[in-house]
Formats: sequence, C-alpha cells, structure tokens
Amino acid sequence: MENNPGISWLNDTDTILTFIKKVISELPELRDQIEVLEEGDLLFLQGEPLEFMYLILEGNIQLTRTQPDASEDVLITLGAGSFAGLIAFTTGEPTLTSGRITQKGVALKMRPQQFEQYLNDHPRLKHPLQQLMLNNMIQRYKSNLRLQTKTHALSKQLNKERNELKAAYQQLETTHQMLVHQEKMATLGELVAGFAHEVNNPASALMRAAENLIDIYAEFENSHYSYQLFRLGLHAEPVDSNTQRKRMHLIEKKYPWVYDRSSVRKLAQMPDEALDLIDKHRKKGEIDSLVNHFEAGKMIHNIRIASKRIANLVKSLKSYSRQDQNKEELADIREGIRDTILVLSNRLKFIDVNLELDDIPKTCANIGDLNQVWTNIIVNACDAMKGQGELTISTQEKDHTIVVKISDTGPGIPEDILPKIFDPNFTTKNQGAEFGLGLGLAISHEIIGQAGGSIMAGNRPDGGTEFAITIPVRDDC
Amino acid sequence: MDHKIYILIVEDELEVMDALVKDLEKFETFFPVETANDATEAEEVIDYILDHDHKIGLILCDHVLPGKNGVDLLIELQQNPKTAISKKVLVTGQAGHEDTIMAINKADLDHYIAKPWTEDELEKVVRDELTDYVLSNEDNLLYYMQVLDAEKISDAMRKNKMTDH
Amino acid sequence: MKAFSKDALAIIIGVIGFIIPFFLSIPGLSEAGHVALSIFIIAAVFWMLEPVPIYATSMLVILLQVFFLSKQGVLFPEVSAEYAPNAYTDFIGTLANPIIILFLGGFVLADAAVKFDLDKNLTRILLKPFGSKPKFIILGLMIVTGLLSAFMSNTATTAMMMTVILPIIAKTDIDDPMRIGLALSIPFAANIGGIATPIGTPPNAVVIGALSTQGIDIAFTEWMVLAAPLVLIVLGFSWLILLWMFKPKTNSVPMDLKGSFQKNKSAVLVYLVFAVTVVLWITESLHGVGSSIIALIPVAVLSLTGILDKDGIRQLPWEVLWLVAGGISLGISMESTGLAEWIVTSIEWSSFSTLFMIIGFSLVAIVMSNFLSNTVSATLLIPLAVSLATSGVAGEGFSLILISLVIGVSASMAMMLPISTPPNAIAMSTGTLKTKHMTRAGLAIGLFGLLMVTLYALFYWPLILN
Repeated sequence: MENNPGISWLNDTDTILTFIKKVISELPELRDQIEVLEEGDLLFLQGEPLEFMYLILEGNIQLTRTQPDASEDVLITLGAGSFAGLIAFTTGEPTLTSGRITQKGVALKMRPQQFEQYLNDHPRLKHPLQQLMLNNMIQRYKSNLRLQTKTHALSKQLNKERNELKAAYQQLETTHQMLVHQEKMATLGELVAGFAHEVNNPASALMRAAENLIDIYAEFENSHYSYQLFRLGLHAEPVDSNTQRKRMHLIEKKYPWVYDRSSVRKLAQMPDEALDLIDKHRKKGEIDSLVNHFEAGKMIHNIRIASKRIANLVKSLKSYSRQDQNKEELADIREGIRDTILVLSNRLKFIDVNLELDDIPKTCANIGDLNQVWTNIIVNACDAMKGQGELTISTQEKDHTIVVKISDTGPGIPEDILPKIFDPNFTTKNQGAEFGLGLGLAISHEIIGQAGGSIMAGNRPDGGTEFAITIPVRDDC
Repeated sequence: MDHKIYILIVEDELEVMDALVKDLEKFETFFPVETANDATEAEEVIDYILDHDHKIGLILCDHVLPGKNGVDLLIELQQNPKTAISKKVLVTGQAGHEDTIMAINKADLDHYIAKPWTEDELEKVVRDELTDYVLSNEDNLLYYMQVLDAEKISDAMRKNKMTDH
Repeated sequence: MKAFSKDALAIIIGVIGFIIPFFLSIPGLSEAGHVALSIFIIAAVFWMLEPVPIYATSMLVILLQVFFLSKQGVLFPEVSAEYAPNAYTDFIGTLANPIIILFLGGFVLADAAVKFDLDKNLTRILLKPFGSKPKFIILGLMIVTGLLSAFMSNTATTAMMMTVILPIIAKTDIDDPMRIGLALSIPFAANIGGIATPIGTPPNAVVIGALSTQGIDIAFTEWMVLAAPLVLIVLGFSWLILLWMFKPKTNSVPMDLKGSFQKNKSAVLVYLVFAVTVVLWITESLHGVGSSIIALIPVAVLSLTGILDKDGIRQLPWEVLWLVAGGISLGISMESTGLAEWIVTSIEWSSFSTLFMIIGFSLVAIVMSNFLSNTVSATLLIPLAVSLATSGVAGEGFSLILISLVIGVSASMAMMLPISTPPNAIAMSTGTLKTKHMTRAGLAIGLFGLLMVTLYALFYWPLILN
C-alpha cells in the first residue's frame, strides 16, 4: 500500500521537530517554557510525582530505573523529538524512572494542564504534537517487541543450558552410585577374601578329621560286622521323614525286639543290608552298640557333606566378589553366572534353575561387575516369583556378540513401567534392605553400557519377564 | 499314659534334621519325636497324631521350607484351636527381622533358636517349653518330672493341693 | 478274644467277691455279717487293686452300707436278735466325724499357708541355723520337713521341699552320694513327720475316727505326746542311716534361699490364724477345747475374710475326706454286724503273746502300706484290732488304743518303694536315685520303725495311757 504523501512528512520526527521549533520561536509564551538541559543534571527522580512533561528539542536524557536490590538499570536514552515523563503524564501516577541529562540541550517543559491548552490555543501545534506523541509510542512499542524477542531467545538458551545441566547431573549421580557400589563390592571382596581364608581352615580341618576318623575306626573296629555297619553308615543316603515314618512302621513289625522309639528311628534310616547284619549279630544288650557303629558312620558322612558344602560356598563367594574390581580380563562369562547362582542358592532354594549355557568364546570383561548384573536380575526375578517358579538362563554367541537371556515365570513387568526400569532411582520396593543386592537396574544398564553392550527387558508372550543382554566379544585387554 | 505328647520337628535339610533329632533323643522316652520335611507333611503328621488321641506338646520349625514357610505354618497352627496350645519354636539361620516379629506377634512364638544351635541351648529351650506345656495341660505331672524342669513341677505340685492317701 | 485289661479284671474279681457271700452260709456269721463281708471284700479288692480311685471305692462303701445294711436300707428294716441295724445317718455321718472336721481345718490352713508362701518362708527361716555342712543341712531339711508335714499334707510338703533341694542337687557333683541322701531325706522325713499330729496324715484320722466310734476321744495334745517322741527318734535314726549309706563327699552345701514374708493384710491375717490355730491345737490339754472345734476357726475366719473363696473351697481335697469317712464307715458295720468279731474269733488268738501280736500287727501294717495306700491299710486293719480288743479274746495286755496306735503309726513307716507313698513317688520322679537306694534305706527305717513301735507299745505308751 502506498503511503499517503499528505501525512508522510508527519512520520518524520525531524521535520515535525523543526516545525515545532519554528512555532515555538514564533510564540513568545512558549519560548518561556523552554528549559536548558545541563549535562549531568537530574531531571526527575523515580517514584516522585511528575510536575512537567518534557519534549526534548536538543540533547539526550537517559532513563534509568533503580531495582529493588539498589542496582541501576539503564532503560533507554531519549534523544531530540522524544517525550520524557510521558507515562506519568498520561496516567498521573508517580514516575517509574529517573531522568538524567546525558547531553546538554533544550526541552519544552509543559504542565499537564497546560498541554490541553496549548493544543487548543495553537491549533497548528495540535497535530504535530499528537503525531510526535504517537511516534514516541510506536518507537516504544517497537523497542518492546525487540525486547520480547530477545527475552524469548534468552530463555530458550537458558532452558537448553538447564537441560544440559540436568543430564550432566544425572550422569554424575549414576557415576556416583556406581562408584559407591564399586567401593562396596571392593570392601565385600576384601571381607570375603579374609573370611574365606578363616572359614577354609576349619572347613578343611573338619574334612581331614572326618577322613582320619574313618581310618582310625578301621583300625579299632576290626570285628568284621561292626566295621561293615560303619562303612554302610558312611555311605547311607539320608531318608526323608515320610519314607522314614513308613519304614519305622515296617521295622516295628519286623523286629519286635526293638522297643524304644529312638532305636526304631535309627533302624529306619538303615539300608536293608545293615538291618540284616544287626538282626544276625544282635546279642542281648548289644543292639545299641551295633546301631551306634552305623550312626558313627552316618555322622562322619554328615560331617563330610557339610564341610564340602562350606568349602564350595566359600569358593564361589570368593570368585563372585573378585577384588580386582576395575580390571577387565579375558574370561568366560558362564563361570560368573555359575558363581552367582551358587552365592544366591539361598534365594534360589525352591526355584527350578535351568541353565542352557551354550559354548561362548572368552571375552574381555569385568566379571565382578557382570556378576552384579546377573545378581540384580536374578534377585528381581526371585522376588517377582515370590520364591517359587522357574528361572532360565541361556548363553549364545551371535555375530561376535554374546547374548545372555534370563527369564522367569513371574507375573512380568507392567507395560507402563517397562520403559522406566533402567532409570536411575527407579524401584518398586523399599531400598537399602540388603547389602549388595537390588542396587537397581540402572547400575546394570551402566555396567553393560561400559562393556559396550546393551540390556533390554520385555515380557514373554507366555508370561514372565525376559532380560536380554548382549556383549560384544573383545580380546583387547 | 494313654496319650502321648509328641515333639514335632519340621526341617527340610535331612542332615540338619538328623542332628536335631539326635539332640532330642533324651526326651524321647517321654515325648516321642515326629519329623516332617515341609509344611504340608507337617500338617498331615499333626492330623494323624491328633486323630489318634495323642497330643503335640512342641513344634520346632525351620523358617525356610519348600512351599509354605515356617512362620506362615506356625501362624496357621496358632489359629487352629487344636494346635494353639502346642508350644512353638522357630529354629532358623535366616529368618529376617520382620518374619520373626510377625511370628512372635501372630504365631505367639514361644522361642527362637538361631542356627547353629548348641545342644545345651536346644535342650534348655525344649525342656522349658515342654515344662510349660505339661504344667498347663497335663494332670499327671509326676510322670514328666525326671525329664523336665523338676523344680518348676515340684512347685506346681505344691500349689496343686497335693494330698496323701 | 481280647484279654481283659488289668482294671476290668480287678472289677470282675471285686464284683464276684461281692456276690459270693450272698450264696454262702457261713456258720457263726449273721446274715448281716454276710452282707458286710461282701462289702468288705469288694472294698478290699478295689482298694488293693485300684481299678477305680480309692476315694471312689470309699463312696461305694458308704452307698452299699446305706443301701444294704442301714435300717432305712432294703435288707434289714427291722431290728433282730442277730443284728440291730445302724441308722443310715451313722454311715453318712462319718463325713462329719470330728476327725474329718479337724482335717478340713488342716486343709484350709495348709492351703492358705501355701497361697501366701508361708511354708517356703518358714523353711527359709528354720533352715538358717543349720549352717552349710552337708550333714547338718540334711538334718535341718529333715527337721523342717517333718515339722511342716505334721501340719500340712506330706505330699505338699515334699513337693515344696523339692524346690529347695533340687537346686542343691543340681550343683552337686554327679557322683556325690549326697544327691541320693538329699533326695531321700525329704520324703522319708515327710512320711515320718506326718505321724506327729492327728492332722499329719490320713491314717492317723482313721485311727482316731475308729476310736471315736468306740467312744474314745484322743485329744490333739494327747496324740502328740504319744507320737512325737517316736517321730523324733525315727527321724534321728533316718538321718544317721542316710548319712551312713550315702556319705556326702562335698564339704559345704550352697544354700541361698531367697524370698521374704508377704506383708499385705491378708498374708498377716493368715500368719495370725495359722499361729493361733496351731497354738490352740497343741495346748488342747490346757484349755480343753476340742481340736475339731478349733479347726473350725481357720475355716470360718478365712472364709469370712475372703481369703478362702468359692474356688478355694471347691479345690480343697474333699476326696481325702471321703476316703477316710468311707474307712470309718466300713469299720462301723464290720463291728455292728459281728463280721469283725467273726474274723477275729476264727483265729486262736490266745495262743499268741501280746508282744507277738504287736509285732504282728505292726509288721502287717508296714508291709501292707508299702504296697497299698497307707490309709487303706489302716482302714482294713483297724476294725480287726478293734474287735480283737473289745471281744477280749486277746487277753488283758491288749488295749484298744494301744493296738490302734500300733497300726496307725506303722502304716506311716512304709517307705521302701516308690509306690509306697506319694512323697516317695515324687522323690523317685526327680531321677536322682534308683529304686534300690530307696528300698535299702526304706527297709532299714521300716525295721527300725518296727522295733521302735514295739518298744513304745510295750513301755512308753502304756505309761502315758494309764
């Protein structure tokens, strides 16, 4: 659209100003209203009611605003053709800014009540003044718009920076948890190493003592059948209580000469061969000692079994919590899985564990850390299955990566929380209950990430959860 | 004695059961020992004993059992009026704090023995619990005196208005 | 065919024994005597073999007597030349016999004493002067036990004293014979101590009850003068024999009895009633008020003050009172039907000397009560002794009181077997001794008792009674 040439000159502040200056020079009453602006003078002070409005004819006025914290912000520098005190003038309220003269000049000073009068008295002035005012407003509006755009850009920038900070903080948090965890595992490792040594000594003493007892017994008890009873006891399989009850009834019928219940029970635990021996060789008052030969064998057998169990447990506890935490080594991941299962045997007592461990190549990995991953997943699975069910662990090699799959027969993970389970601090249970366990899948995620692999969780179509862990095969350590 | 007072041991590890039974042998003349490997079997054994008009004086129960755990079993037995009077002892190496508290509150657990136990400790607990059971449930205290806490039984007899005849 | 149980067999024997006299005609025995014999047989069988509790047998005895032998019964409504039937109140009245009331008082008193631990606290105080040397500790224990059992039941005393000695036994070496000596000292002292007063033990009641139906009343003090010296000497002998047989190895016995007298109002009242009653009993000869009458004081006072409440009354050992009453009642009809006299006259007593008869009755009483209840032994023997004395067949030296005393006292001298007395059973049940220990020591005391009873019956009692 073409500008109207009739008023185009009005858009030019200089022209208007020249015109107004001319009018002023013509009108003596207006000349009196001219105020000389001396540089450095304060024209008006923020917060005070404004008596005059100034039209700057020459020179500059800087508007400043004192913030609540006493700092001073420069808002705008008004040049010739600008109104100062315009807002206070129109609203009648105290001025929002202070005006300081930064370049000397002159200004037309007007009282508000006079203004109307000028306009009326000098119709020639009316229009230019109004236009000048409008120009001022437009200018201010434009600067406002500029400001807004600038603010927007700034807040965008700020937001971006904040997100970056947040991510960095999360990273830091995970790393911190990781470090704490590693520290814990290192402490555990140290403890276990000392503990294992201390336990292994008595355990091997027990084992040796049991073996020596067997030899000594062989020397002492040279009477044929009593040693035979002892040997039978040594290899007796424990009898469950149901079978035992049935056998006790049988014994009571078959051997009416046994009267007290303890003896009946002991006989019920014997294989037929031993029973026959006792029946054949029993003399008056000798039954108890015959039974005791068998019992002695059984007890040594129990010592053997128990001490072997201790030794095995200690062994796997030791390799489970390796001390060389931060070292990668060429290792078979399956060993770690086996150790983990042994260490968790208490949790897995009533769970069927299926191990489908295909041959996989050795790879560079931190076995101690990986064991933590297996532990986390297995413990979660146990909790989900409430101590009863089936746990399947399989290993495979595919395209130079190892895939470990752990699945349970629990209720699965609700779809809505499935995406969140690897988030730091995500948990469905009370934390801090057990040392070294349940430290969260976030750490598992982190550990696998460090190994250059990935971890994924999903629900199987036939129920239960399946975790799939892939680890690239490396030999660069 | 026309009825017998049984001791029932519930423990799934056979070697451990063996050791428990061995330690309780000295009570056996007066209190026959029965065994069960899990909660279901324990319930069957209890029914069998009670159906034959015998009684159950003491139940020693492991916590970690296949199927229903020890604390749950004891709670259930406490709620059954037939076994509520039986003394209940948890023998375990691994019950957590909460499980134990629950057992004490709900199953009216009479005692808690931590594994590994010593013979003296087990014997004392069993003797004390059986003494309490006999004092509150049996008439013929004299019969049990030599195997139980004789002092406690004597005092109970003193208070029972014993007479000559 | 399934064999009869022991109890069923005993009942059958008893019932057959009850029926037989109905089909027999025994010369010299009245018709009522036959019935009394039936009742005697069934009572004796039931009491000896115990197919039913012995107090139940006593109740049966009273029922049968009221039913068959009383004037209001079915068989003898009229007085005849042979038999003047007792009123049924004579039989059931035995339940209110003064000795029964005396026992009731004793029960109430003992009950309150146990309730407020007076027995334990007295023991604690009384044992203090005996130091810590084993032989004096045992002496102290025996004296205290004997003293308490003179006023409380022997069984309750034994049970209480067991709580005192069991901790000592537990602290003594397993191979120290003192353990056995200690365990035996209590029941023996309790058995012997029971002889000392009329309320000490039920056989005393049987003797006193039987004598009272003969019109002879024995005062509390009088009994004590007769029996207490014997008790002291037998107790002393028992102490020596136990020390000799089971010589203590240890030099000192730890004795730390804890406790204190209860000081609340009820307890103080109980102490007071206990003291007053006992003092009044043992001073009967001074004030002349009968012990049975005094026995009502604790009964009334303790009931009035609520110390003996409804439950307490219910829990009193009423069965013992029934047992004794049944015994006295049986004696009445054996006497009045002439059964006792017939039994007595069927033996030629005059050929036996008094000494022989004293020894004989004492021995039989000791042997019988070793296997049977002491009360039952006394109950079965007393009617014979009474007839023997009253019929005069036994000659002059044979006084009624004398022979009754011999039987009553001897019945309490039996302590050879665990089944002899409840205190013996308690000691046995502690598991600290074997039967052979009890038999050996019990035999020695039984023989010494026999000797002492004989000597007292020959020399001391006639002195007092005349």
